Amino acid sequence: MDSHEAMLAGFLAGDLDPDEARRWDEHLLECERCWRAVREDRACRQAAALLREPAPPGLADRVAFAVELAAAGADGPAARRVRLRAGSSRLARLSAGWRLLAGAGMLAGAVAATLIALLFAGGSGTGRMPAAVAAVARYALAVPSAGREPPPPQNGRSAPAEVGRAVTLTAGGQQIVVRTWLLDGTEVVVAVSGRPFPMPAGALGAAGPGMAWSARLGKLGLYCVNGGTSELVAAPVPAAELAALAARLPPA
Amino acid sequence: MSAVGDDHRAFLDATLPYLDVVYQVARHAAGDGQEPEDLVQETYLRAYAAFGSFRGGSMRAWLAAICLNAARSQARRRRARPWEAVARPLPEGVSPARGAEGEAEPDVADVVIAGLDAQAVSRCLAQLPEPQRVCIVLMDVAGYTAREVAELLGCPRSTVLARVHRGRRRLAGLLAGAGVSYGQP
Repeated sequence: MDSHEAMLAGFLAGDLDPDEARRWDEHLLECERCWRAVREDRACRQAAALLREPAPPGLADRVAFAVELAAAGADGPAARRVRLRAGSSRLARLSAGWRLLAGAGMLAGAVAATLIALLFAGGSGTGRMPAAVAAVARYALAVPSAGREPPPPQNGRSAPAEVGRAVTLTAGGQQIVVRTWLLDGTEVVVAVSGRPFPMPAGALGAAGPGMAWSARLGKLGLYCVNGGTSELVAAPVPAAELAALAARLPPA
Repeated sequence: MSAVGDDHRAFLDATLPYLDVVYQVARHAAGDGQEPEDLVQETYLRAYAAFGSFRGGSMRAWLAAICLNAARSQARRRRARPWEAVARPLPEGVSPARGAEGEAEPDVADVVIAGLDAQAVSRCLAQLPEPQRVCIVLMDVAGYTAREVAELLGCPRSTVLARVHRGRRRLAGLLAGAGVSYGQP
């Protein structure tokens, strides 16, 4: 590195003391090479700044949700019940912020909190909800409202329209890809995993490859088909209607 | 409210303010087939798992280091290097500006901003060697200081500054070439 480059490097790093800075300024008035180098350096910094993009809306909520799931899965039932009260208030804030249910945010929060209590505290004799199923159910309860008009019906039935983008969750050591669809005015959450979704206690049907089970969690219906790729569908419709609803969605 | 119920909230309170900066790193660290948002989520999950071992210093530098490691891990699983996977060829007809012997090279400062868009800058940046590209992304795109970059990369500050300086110089040539080609009527 010659003396020009050494001074340039010091200037660009902000390492010049006042005397050095003064000598550098005087040098720049006479040295075309260094002046050009400074301009180029400044221009490249400005060009690189063009690459900045703000984080997409909803990413903070998604990250917070993922961390909350991880925290809920890390401890035993006693701690989980304690966190339930904190988590339900957080989820109530999320639900209110995302306008999940049309109506008062407080009502949405209360309903969400009640359903989360059923999920984690084993209310109504349902027993423990498997972590992966609980995560999908929680996501279905917290999914943002579509805020869009459904596509025009074809042959008397509306075509499914995807809402937002696929989201990857991890719960109970199981990686799950979740997508949300709007179908006949109903938001349907479809979760896909390379591992089977365990059947909750009290569900109808059978676990195992190629088998299907269904369950009810408050107003949320759950329908699962386990196989090479397992699919769990969650929507606020009777569980008996979920299989037909799932059949109208694009394949996973 | 129990201490257990507070730990993830304390983590999020401490780290979510840096989400935007982590996203800048993730956008350039994510390899082919890897969504930056997924990489950000993975970064925060890893950071949460390791939060107890954070010993102070720059939180945003710590998160950036986790993000880069997560990208490398995922790339290893995909058997591809993340930074090289980002590289794309320059558009046809664009080449680094090289003046003939004795001829002054085009002044990048005159051409680089006018007529160049983010996509062109990104393509030129992708042509840089990985060490220089990483440092420029961290300092000039994400806004880390040289000291923070040195901390998260585990190298001397002088090394970071040298990489940035050489990288910007090389980038200047690439941008000048792209600008001359784009700028021609």
